[in-house]
Amino acid sequence: MTLLSRKCVPFTPLDRELSKCTVALVTAAGVHRVDQEPFNIADELGDLTFRAIGGDDAIADLMVTHHHYDHTDADQDINVVFPLDLLRELAAEGMIGQVAREHVGYMGYTMQLKLMYEQTAPAIAEYVDKKAKADAVVLTGG
Amino acid sequence: MRGIPTVLITVSPEVSAQMRPPRAISPKGFRIGNSLGRPGMRDLQKRVLRDALNTLTAPARPGEVVEIDYPEYGG
Repeated sequence: MTLLSRKCVPFTPLDRELSKCTVALVTAAGVHRVDQEPFNIADELGDLTFRAIGGDDAIADLMVTHHHYDHTDADQDINVVFPLDLLRELAAEGMIGQVAREHVGYMGYTMQLKLMYEQTAPAIAEYVDKKAKADAVVLTGG
Repeated sequence: MRGIPTVLITVSPEVSAQMRPPRAISPKGFRIGNSLGRPGMRDLQKRVLRDALNTLTAPARPGEVVEIDYPEYGG
């Protein structure tokens, strides 16, 4: 039997058309800019921090630090886990209003689930709300 | 804090379903590390992203992970 979360599903309706939405990406795939501190893969407990990635950042300036999935393909084309290029195209095509000015990368592996849930996740949500000013978020893993 | 609408793209549907995400799609058979497809498969990657975004305005199925077939991904 699959064990399901007993928490209330945190469903928030979208209050406007997609074509008017600012959209941000939040990825657990360990994406960050090459000039940012890499995630700490030496700590067996995981890394509870996150990195802000600019909406205008060049794809070539992004990289992955994550030791719990094979990111060979993402190293070649980061859009397979972090579709920032594609989001820009969809904004240019008018499907979404605009690409958020900030996005978030973190390393989706931790032995400190409680801290991830109670501290990191709300901090990311706060960031997406206040800094990215996103109306909607696409979440990706590795 | 206000709620923020989210949609998840997952390649581990069984694991993700346990958390009962508000909106989630799972491209069928994609391996871990290929959430939107394989490198360079721009059209496929974009279709997956479009499908995810369209989930934001589709009839609500909170807590469900919707599996979608993308035959062009290959086995």
